Amino acid sequence: MNLLTVSNLIKRYSRGGKTLAAVDDVSFHVEPGETLALAGPSGSGKSTIARLVLRLIEPDGGRIEFEGDNFLALRGAALRARRARLQMVFQDPLAAFNPRATVARVLDDPLRIHGVASRFERPRRIAALLERVGLAADLAPRAIHEISGGQRQRVAIARAIATKPSLIVLDEAVSALDVSVRGQILNLLLDLQREERIAYLFISHDLGVVRAVAHRVILFDAGRIAENGDARTVIGAPQSAVGQALVAAAPRLHTTTQDAS
Amino acid sequence: MRRLRRFLRTPEAVAGTILLTVLFAMALSASLLFPGDPQAIAGPALLPPFQDWSLPLGTDRLGRDVLAELFHGARTSLAVGLAAAAAALVIGAVVGTLAGFAGGLVDEVLMRITDAFQTVPGFLLALAFVSVVGPSLGVVVVAIALGTWTGPARIARAEVLSIRERDYVAGARVIGMRPLEIAFREVLPNALPPVLAMSSVIVAAAILTEAALSFLGLGDPNRVTWGGMIAEGRAVLRTAPFLSIVPGIALVLTVLGVYLAGEGIVETTAVRRGLS
Repeated sequence: MNLLTVSNLIKRYSRGGKTLAAVDDVSFHVEPGETLALAGPSGSGKSTIARLVLRLIEPDGGRIEFEGDNFLALRGAALRARRARLQMVFQDPLAAFNPRATVARVLDDPLRIHGVASRFERPRRIAALLERVGLAADLAPRAIHEISGGQRQRVAIARAIATKPSLIVLDEAVSALDVSVRGQILNLLLDLQREERIAYLFISHDLGVVRAVAHRVILFDAGRIAENGDARTVIGAPQSAVGQALVAAAPRLHTTTQDAS
Repeated sequence: MRRLRRFLRTPEAVAGTILLTVLFAMALSASLLFPGDPQAIAGPALLPPFQDWSLPLGTDRLGRDVLAELFHGARTSLAVGLAAAAAALVIGAVVGTLAGFAGGLVDEVLMRITDAFQTVPGFLLALAFVSVVGPSLGVVVVAIALGTWTGPARIARAEVLSIRERDYVAGARVIGMRPLEIAFREVLPNALPPVLAMSSVIVAAAILTEAALSFLGLGDPNRVTWGGMIAEGRAVLRTAPFLSIVPGIALVLTVLGVYLAGEGIVETTAVRRGLS
């Protein structure tokens, strides 16, 4: 059974009297424990899809099924409760947290809201979560703006896994990090996936990163699916114009494909 | 500590802080230095200042000690000014946050109510409210707050409108936080700084409004107020002008002090933001 099934999803924006389809009749599915990458140039609608899947914005048409239920039909408390299973990591780890928060508070919120642990148990859970993502437990009382970008993104991942989700949407989650930190975060994500069987919806414009982590990839262009298939196959020999342009834009990849041919 | 040092480096902040310190000292020491009722008769009527050193600022038409009245009046001015400003800021921040965060119909309704309050001059509103409900300290505070909460509400709303689009608000929704908790725990604290920057202007305006109400005889009759003292002195303005001038100077210095100190705070926080 599919974990997430998206069918005929549509989202339109009107700008200056003209309607523009940011997401135009898009369908895909995610299986448990797999990584599906959504790639494409900026403005291709991939981030809009992330926000639609998370119900941060409402679609103009289509269906989203999550864990067998009609996700778009959930309202209020039922929707908030189900959010425990579907989490997100944002691109900019500084913007993703309340600027006044501490690491402990950021991790305490999901545990408290979903009743994962009692008030007395939570400090221990927070320490365990920090260790799970490779951070020292004594980071907990620090303010979010005091720790480094890489540490912040680890905290964001800890927050996402706090409620034991089955799917995490990673919206350009490693794009703002420098190269050495990026590798570590990707390894952490792969470890978590292996051990907890979490599925990822991995949104990125960087095909190098996509090839390293994704099982399947969908390439978007102007809100439509341009190409989809096995990540290595698609990136190794893109058929669509967008795919070829994206591969050409990543110089390292370009030379490897030439070498292979 | 560093912020305090930078605060004290601006001349307006120093001047404002000195004025406010004197004022607070006056208000706090009023019942120690001048125990008993400041409205009791203390000597001959209309004694000019600097004649009798047991009554340094002289007496009014009924023979009441002007200096004692001045000290006790400082208490009323500060209490009303601070309480009214606090009430206005709290109401304004809550209304503005709800309007900005909820959007749609809630926003529309709350902002039209704000418009309605804003179109009525604040002083007239206070005047009408006190005349209907009756003069007492609490009523005066509410009356002044009624006319001043709209400014903070508009600023809070504008700030919330920009904050609610930020990632961390989306993040709070993703972890399943309730909308009210997001509004008051995640959004409101971050919308506060520009609202608080208004507080000195609001305190100063509240002190002036209270004085004006007392001048018109709508202050709390059981308390000495500077506005009331000026009104008292008006009857003998030609023969004993000091009775109006002394509380008038106190009022000017107080408003100036509040304003300068507020300006200093805004200045220091602006520098801090600029550096970071």
